[in-house]
Amino acid sequence: MKTEMERHIVWLDCDTGTDDAQAILCANALPELEIVAISAVAGNVELEKTYRNALRLNRLMGTDFPVYQGAEKPWLQPQHTGYRYHGENGLGGVELPLPENVPETTKKAWDALYEKAKELGGALEIIATGPLTNIGTALMKYPDLPRFIRRIVLMGGSATGGNRTPAAEYNIFADPHAADAVFRSGIPLVMCGLDVTMQAIFTEEDLIRIGSKGTPAARLFHDALLTPLRAQEGGEGVKLHDAVAVLYAARPELFWGQMAGVAVETRGTVTMGKTVTDLWSDKKFPFKNAFVVLGLDNEAFVRTVQELIWSY
Amino acid sequence: MNRTPIPVIHDCDPGHDDAMALLLSQAAPEIEIRAITTCCGNQTIEKTTYNTRRICTLLGIDAPIGMGRPGPMLQDPITAANIHGQSGLDGPKLPEPAVPLSTLSAVELMAKTLEESDEPVTIISTGPMTNTGCLLLAHPELKPKIKRISMMGGGIKHGNWSPAAEFNILVDPEAADIVFRSGVPITMAGLDVTLKALILEADIARIRAIGTRISQVVADWLDFFYEFHRKIGYRGAPLHDPCAVAALLRPELFDMQDYFVQIETQGEFCRGATVGAQPGKTDQAVVPNATCLMDVDRQGFVDLIVEAVESYEN
Repeated sequence: MKTEMERHIVWLDCDTGTDDAQAILCANALPELEIVAISAVAGNVELEKTYRNALRLNRLMGTDFPVYQGAEKPWLQPQHTGYRYHGENGLGGVELPLPENVPETTKKAWDALYEKAKELGGALEIIATGPLTNIGTALMKYPDLPRFIRRIVLMGGSATGGNRTPAAEYNIFADPHAADAVFRSGIPLVMCGLDVTMQAIFTEEDLIRIGSKGTPAARLFHDALLTPLRAQEGGEGVKLHDAVAVLYAARPELFWGQMAGVAVETRGTVTMGKTVTDLWSDKKFPFKNAFVVLGLDNEAFVRTVQELIWSY
Repeated sequence: MNRTPIPVIHDCDPGHDDAMALLLSQAAPEIEIRAITTCCGNQTIEKTTYNTRRICTLLGIDAPIGMGRPGPMLQDPITAANIHGQSGLDGPKLPEPAVPLSTLSAVELMAKTLEESDEPVTIISTGPMTNTGCLLLAHPELKPKIKRISMMGGGIKHGNWSPAAEFNILVDPEAADIVFRSGVPITMAGLDVTLKALILEADIARIRAIGTRISQVVADWLDFFYEFHRKIGYRGAPLHDPCAVAALLRPELFDMQDYFVQIETQGEFCRGATVGAQPGKTDQAVVPNATCLMDVDRQGFVDLIVEAVESYEN
């Protein structure tokens, strides 16, 4: 069976981030995915934190993935961090040690991404779990980048309503202009938006059970996710938004969705950053640029994440 | 039961489903139509006004009819001839108008109706909200006389005329914005519910079997509407506009949820979108301004329509 398994060479672009951290843990544990690098972008917290948090994950996982620094702020919008859901350090207050010899500066994320994509001759996939500033910047600097990217699986957007605003999901709202560039790029896109990620629910019991394994990965899972769990109103559980993109990349059979035309609104007043999706309207866009993931098998999702976290 | 009927102003752009909304109101003892105002939308203002007078003649509605502006507040008209035909009400032959047109404009007639009423009046709006928007601008003092605006338009989840916007809102987003900011209680029958308020072939057969002249006209209207929607992939004909009336008559047929609805008047893709937020569901604090219909007991809704048609004697 292993020989028939499709392997994906992936670049992770993250704003780590409580759920980004779990996404990275899952990606590394999935045999279907081969991580070539991680790039950090400002988002849930500032760039210096998302950069160092990715390095901390390296240390926890015992890996040595290259980690690159990307954009410090969105292209045009003021920066909106998400301390409420991620804590001030981005990991829900969980303190993780850094590896030794942390470089102060690195090659720029977009340069490293382009170089690697070209080197791999079109096989590289991107999993993006933060604002799309780094990828948008890479597209602006390297117009031929789309030829070398097999697809982008992203956590962001929504075919219906938002969470950061009534119309917009956080990652797209954070940098709608860069997101617009990505959605117009022609690169095959998989949009794991709120339509599906709001169904990726972990209850407090799930967190306690998974954390009870006691390993560093299991403890991080439990401890870091307590912050977003407690930040929600209604308390139906914490949504593991970013891990959806990672699991979709490796195990699409757990999900369902539909091809659609998706455009990012960058000129609205109340709709800034809305991913306008033409799934249910009479008038469609003249393009279909994204596979919009709409649902998942929650039980299988929770079970898979548990297995992956427990594999450490 | 001997309750006083709810006084209403019908603001409409007939349109097959507007005609059905008028039919439902006129049939209901719970509703008293005090005035009808027309707007351009499904067709030009001349055609929707002519259609309104023909419908009133057919149904025996004797309320005054006021004609609206030739266009939306700020932009050029958008019509829906592809859905309702060149006349705006294609299908069966209708009687020529035997009811007069008021010398008052739509907004004047609305204002007069509100002023003369002892109790607050409900506005049933089944077209673009140009007239109601203009009324609120011209007569802010009459706001307390508007009990509620029960409107068909928008969609919390998505649009139809564009991916983000529903037709009635897209035609006049500024007017809709004025209405939703007004503070007047709003019942919103958007696509969320109206696409579930489907008339199917068997339902039309039920109406045709009633055998009266009006039932034949209604069945022909519905056939026309049904054929069009089947062609573009619908399972049946969505009876958008009657939902705004049914919500007043039989609220128990609907799942209703309170939302804070904002109208996007700008945007490259979102002009005319009705952005809905429920308290606690996003990072922004919101106070609801509209009760939105999100689902319907389809069978109960169809029964209401059939019974309304049955109530006409000829």
